[in-house]
Formats: sequence, C-alpha cells, structure tokens
Amino acid sequence: MSAGRGVVVVGLFDTVDKAAAAAQALRALPLPEKNVTTISSVALPDGAVVSDRGPIRFPWIVAVFWFVGAAAAFGLTLTTYLVYPMITAGKPITTVPPTIIVTYEGAMLGALLATIVAAFRSIGLGRFRTKKVFDPRIHDGMIALCAAVDTGEQERRAAEAMRSAGGTDVRAEEGVL
Amino acid sequence: MKHKWAMVIDMDRCTGCGACVVACAAENNTPTAGEADAAKGRLMHWLRVSRYWKREGNETRAIFVPTPCMHCEKAPCEIVCPVYATYHDEDDNLNAMVYNRCIGTRYCANNCPYSVRVFNWWDYKWEKPLDEQLNPDMSVRSRGVMEKCTYCIQRIRRARETAISELREIRDGEVLPACAQTCPPGAIVFGDAADPDSAVSRLMMDPRVFKLMEHLGTDPRTAYLKKQRGPGR
Amino acid sequence: MSDDSRNHLARTGETALYDELSRSNRVTTRSWYVATGIAFLVFAFGLGAFIYMMATGMGVTGLNRPVFWGVMIILFVFWIGVSHSGTLISAILRITQASWRAPVLRGAEAMTVFALMVGGLFPIMHLGRNWRFYYIIPYPSERQLWPNFRSPLVWDMVAIATYLTGSILFLYFGMIPDLAVARDRSTGWRKRLYTVLAAGFRGTHAEWRRYHVASTLFAVLIIPVAVSVHSIVSWDFAMALVPGWHSTIFAPYFVAGAIYSGIAGVITVMAALRWAFKLENHLTERHFDNLGKLLLTMTLIWGYFYFAEFLTTWYSRLPEDWALISSYGGHYLPLFSLMLLCNFLIPLPLLCLKKIRRSIPAIFAVSLVVNVGMWAERALIVVPPLARRNDPSIWRNYFPTWVEISYITGALAMFALLYLLFSKLLPVMAISDIKDHLFRTTDRTVGGTVVPSVADEESGKGGTP
Repeated sequence: MSAGRGVVVVGLFDTVDKAAAAAQALRALPLPEKNVTTISSVALPDGAVVSDRGPIRFPWIVAVFWFVGAAAAFGLTLTTYLVYPMITAGKPITTVPPTIIVTYEGAMLGALLATIVAAFRSIGLGRFRTKKVFDPRIHDGMIALCAAVDTGEQERRAAEAMRSAGGTDVRAEEGVL
Repeated sequence: MKHKWAMVIDMDRCTGCGACVVACAAENNTPTAGEADAAKGRLMHWLRVSRYWKREGNETRAIFVPTPCMHCEKAPCEIVCPVYATYHDEDDNLNAMVYNRCIGTRYCANNCPYSVRVFNWWDYKWEKPLDEQLNPDMSVRSRGVMEKCTYCIQRIRRARETAISELREIRDGEVLPACAQTCPPGAIVFGDAADPDSAVSRLMMDPRVFKLMEHLGTDPRTAYLKKQRGPGR
Repeated sequence: MSDDSRNHLARTGETALYDELSRSNRVTTRSWYVATGIAFLVFAFGLGAFIYMMATGMGVTGLNRPVFWGVMIILFVFWIGVSHSGTLISAILRITQASWRAPVLRGAEAMTVFALMVGGLFPIMHLGRNWRFYYIIPYPSERQLWPNFRSPLVWDMVAIATYLTGSILFLYFGMIPDLAVARDRSTGWRKRLYTVLAAGFRGTHAEWRRYHVASTLFAVLIIPVAVSVHSIVSWDFAMALVPGWHSTIFAPYFVAGAIYSGIAGVITVMAALRWAFKLENHLTERHFDNLGKLLLTMTLIWGYFYFAEFLTTWYSRLPEDWALISSYGGHYLPLFSLMLLCNFLIPLPLLCLKKIRRSIPAIFAVSLVVNVGMWAERALIVVPPLARRNDPSIWRNYFPTWVEISYITGALAMFALLYLLFSKLLPVMAISDIKDHLFRTTDRTVGGTVVPSVADEESGKGGTP
C-alpha cells in the first residue's frame, strides 16, 4: 500500500457481536483478511472478530540465540582457561563441569535477551516515529475495528458497512494498522 | 630448576613449646590480634600448635600437633578462589597466595580442611618503635585479605637468588623456614622432596610417616612422624 | 454464541475496574509516606553500618576462624530463595493456565526482582575488599588476569546476572499492556513515563497474539534459570569439603526450600497489598486458599528433603559428620528447634485446615512463621558445619554483632522500600490479565444453579468461524 492513497477506516463497537458482524460485512466487500484488525483492551479469541493464522517465527530466533549465547559463554570459559593456565587443586586446566554450568547460563541469557528484542520487533513495539492507528476509548470496553482501504470508493463502502453494523464514530485516519 | 618443597614434623620430638609459632610471627610480619580478638577466634598466627587431650586408662596425655599450611598438591583452597588469588606455583610446588589479588571472599578458608588460613579482620598497626621489627622481605597485608603459611617463600627465593648468582644448586638444609630454624628439639625438618638425597626425602620413607586427613585426597606436602609408643616411652 | 453483555468484565465496567486496581498509583496516602520513611531509615542505618564495616574491617562482624561465613551469606541465600517466588508462581501458573493466576502474577514477579536486588548485594557486601569486587568480572584490564571459572562464586555471578536480567525483562514485558492502559489514563510526567515504557503497545489482534507467544516463551525460559540459580547457590556449599556441606542432595534441596520460602513470601506480600490498597474484590479467599495449598505441598516436600539429608548423615555416623549432628542437640538446639517448629510442625497442621487457609490474617501469620523458619534453616546450613568442622582444635561458635543484625533489618527494609516505590510508580496488579479473565467468565445456568464458566481455547486450535 503506497502512502497517500491508503487510509484506515476506524469504527468503535460496544459489543463483540456487533464488531464481528461488521468484520463479516468488511470481508464480504471484499477486503482481504490481513487488512482488517481489531484494537481491544483484552485479547479477543482468534476468529471472534478477525483471525490471524499467519506463522509466528520469532521463537526460532530465540532458539538460534540460545546457541549463540552458549557458544559465547563456552568461548569465554575456554579462552580464560587457556590464556591463564593456572593449576588449581591439581585439576585439569580445562575442566568440563564448570564449563557446562557457565555455558548453560550464557545460553539462557542469550535466549532471554533475544526474546525481548525479537518480541519487540515482531509485535512492532518501540516504533515511536511511525504513526499508528489507535483510539484510547478501547480502555472503556469498546472494540475498535480498523480496515486499511484505498481512498475513495473502498473507503466509503467500508465506512458504510461499519455504520450499518452499529459502529459509532466511524472515521478515516492516516496511519498504519 | 624445579623444587618440591616439603616439611616433616616429628611428633616424638615436639614438646609443644610454641617457639615455632613465635618465630613464624616474627618472620612473616604477623599482626598481634590481642587478647579480645584471640578469645573471639581471630588469632593471626600462620602456624598453630593444636593441643589434643587423650585419655589412656588412668592417664591423660597431651598431644601437640604443629599445624602449618600443608601445601597440598591438590589444594582444595585453590579451586574455589574466584579470582586466582591462590594457585599452585609450579616451580616450587607450593600453594601460592597473592595478597593484592585477594578480594576476601574467604571461600578458600572454608574449603581448607585443616583450617590453616587466616583472614585480616582489621588494618593492623605497628606502633613505633614496633614497626622496626617488621621483616623487609615480607609485605604487611591490608584488611580484607587472606594469608597463610608460605613455607617462608621469601627465604626460598633468597636462597635461589644466592644459588643462581653462585652458579650452583640450592643445597639441602640451606633453606630453613623460621619454624624449622627455631624449633629447639629439631622436630621440624624442611627440604626439597625432589632431591632423593635430602633429609626430607629420607624421612618421607620412614615407616612412622603419616599425613593429616589423608582420606580427603588433598595430598599434603607437610607430613608427620608418629609418636612412638611402647614400654617406657 | 454467548451474549457478551453477560460476561463479568462488561458487568464490572472497565473504568471502575481500572480505578480499583490502580489505586496505589493514583492516591498517595499518609500511611504510604510513613511506611516509606520508616523503611528508608532502617535501610539507611544498614547502609551506614556497611560503610562503617567497609572502612574499618570485617572485624566489626562476629565472624572468626573457622566460621568465616555468617549472617551476610545467610541473607544472600535467604533472599535468593525468596526470589524464586515470582518466577515459579508466575511462570508455572501461566504455563499451566491456572484460572486463579491473574491477581497474583504481578506481585509475585515484582517480588522476584526486588528480592534478587537485595540478595545480589550480599556477595559484594561480604567481601573483605568490596571495593575490588570487579576482579571477578571477565574483561580486558591491565591486571591481565581473568576470573577462575572453576569457582562456584563465579558461577554465582553469571547465574544471578542472568536471573536478574531475565526476571526484570519478565516483569517488564508482563507490564506492557498495563502500562498502555496507564498511559492512556494518566497525565503529566506519569503519561510521559508510561508512554516510553509501554513502547507503543495498542492491543491489535496481531499484537495480542504475538504478545501471548512471547509471554509464554519468557515463562518457559525463566523456570530453568530459576532452578539453575539456586542450584548454583547451593553448590557454593556443596563443593566445599566441610562436613554437613558436602552433600549431593543440596541442589534439589535448596531449590525446594527456595520455592517454599518464595510461596510464603508471595502470601505475605499479597496479604499486605490486599490490605494496603483495598484489593479485597480481586485477592479473594480463593487465591489464598490455593496459595495455601501450594505452601502445604512445599512444607511436605521441604520436610521430605530435610529428612532424607538428615537420615543419611545420622545413620552412618561418620566421625566428621557426627560432631555436627551432635551440635544440633547441643549448642544449636534452640536454632534447630526453631527451624523444625516454624518450617514443619506449625505450618503442616495449620495449612491442612481450610479455615486457616481461607482466613487472611491466619495464613499471613503462617507465611511469616515459615519465612522465619527458612531463615533459621539457612542459618543452620551456613554456621554449624563451619563451627564443627574437620579439625576440632579450632571449633568455635558464632554470634552476629549489631552490624550484621542491621543487615538483616536493612535487607527487609530495602525490599519493602523497593516494593513501596514500585507500588507508587508502576501497575501493581496485572490489570490486563484480570480483565482478560473477567472477559472470558460468564454465568452459565446448569439445571437449578448458576455456575461461573471460563471460556478458554485449547492452544493450537483456532476458533471455528
């Protein structure tokens, strides 16, 4: 969708049923599933109003960084042993169990840090400069239904569909879904 | 030249006089803890004479065990130090203590089964003119660091320097820690166990030899000769 | 399809719910100022004692040879143990999707972070030369020496750093939807703070879905970290040659003790929050009943581990171990009795009674008793084995001085202070989780009665359109 020709139609609904009916009407326009979403103060069950079945890939990133963290910690301990080879208690210079312990902790640290970063990127948090569509009245129990449409005919028909399903304050806003 | 310094203490000769303790304190700048701290268990002596009482029939005997650092081959204190302040010196086969690396976790003291390590609880002061008794070959430790018997490493190093400058090996009996030097009955024998002809090596073959808490597997370099028993002894 | 006007969230009204749950943030009462003032003073006294100790030497404590570790290490182990509360309660309840979890989550997660902050100070405080603590950190320096990774204390550093990072991230991530609500309902500097912290969370369908996946991922990751952390703390003792420490059971025993201590701590904190911020509608008897059942389970598990450890040592009567066990009947009898009483003999029968579990003052008292018992247990682990160790010629007892006692009170005050500040600045109840639970709860007529019924999708299956 190129900037300037796209706009988001937002409507507020006070019950889930009304929002679901509106979403149904929008899908019949036709509007692709990915262009319609809800904004709500509680997570609505998938399929209640809209459905998002796309794969969520970021846990794989976390798995990768588990190994990255493990490798980093392993490298740290091994390098320390080899660069500073001091005999302690007659034990070998490269001892295995302590290496396992530190490697494990490094792996978990890597995974935890990767989770927050990957989750932020996947959810789209931290993008303060992007204008995102929002309505604070969702915290009063309203459900905002948003449809990304082209200006003109599609926008008019989407707004009409929302109004007839019982939406209040239906308007067009600039921004991303 | 690698050495394997070792010490043998003859329990038959030891009278429990404590001269070794005084000598060690004088040689190694050991602070005086004072009566109050001594009562609290904060004596700073690197070498202690443990006294045990043993009941035999109608008699009670005292057993004296002078306990310096055992300088274990597999020293449990070395592996638990987080900062390598104590490690095994390969040239002299000693358990080394590095005061300026120690951050005072005291884990080494907890892991020493012989409890030979002491901790500097305070910044000890030597009021004038007592500061003139300090040994210039040894440092004065700050508060918060561990210390222990070093087999008088300063004397070992001095002897090595002398030997190198005279282009010879260190002779047996040339290096004497303060305790060995002072012991009146000559109960403490010190030398290089890597030298098969040294007094220490010969004594280590003695059938009376035993080591403290050998079952712990620390492989100490300080050994003892059992008190001989029998009629008239 | 259910008529969603019958769900409990629609009945309550979201604005009223928010006002009730965020009371701590919006209203600052005089009691809050008094409590914070007292906590700060006690903490400052402890801090002053610490500076005095740092400047004068460790001699101001009651430590000696052979008891080189005392109250500071006891506090370290105790507070790290308490920190297992949040992770385990919050993480395990999330993963098992226990229906009653929502009001307990935030308080438990916050407890973890603050207990870790308190506990993590003690390894630095107990050093003889604290100002050189950075020798233990591996980084290039002119000293040209890195730490000894074979030492359990270095494992401690790595583990606690990981756990602290993880639990702060876990707490923060869990707060994001609540911070979004707070952002939209506040003004002034609070609005600016929450805007930054909420990172632009809105509540779109895609955001919620990914948020739930990430929350579950955090919960799954933090549990093994928590288990490993207290195992590593236990190995500070188990690796040593001290009789009474050198036991293979220490790792699971300590983890069980930590969970026990942590659940008792959660009960204490939840009861305090309920009373202070009038959260009776949300922290109900049902929650304390369930927490009480968990506490009962842990009483039994702890008792089992303790008995197993005691039995093996007692049975073989190895000379080195026997001196220690004898001391439990001798000099350490008062401490040993206190521990048995507070950890087992008192909580076990009381927690079996539903009346006790459902009475908030009663279960609050039991939780305090349990934590006193756990502190005594830590004391019994650290001190008697050192006091009666391998060489009898240097056996000596230990008693803390005023400096160490001020650390005990100061640690408690610091924890309270952190919690008081947290309750003022950040959402102290998991508002979004509570809302979610209420949204899914409707009243279902079954025959002649009405049963509240919670709608939960089976994970992995979407709804049928």
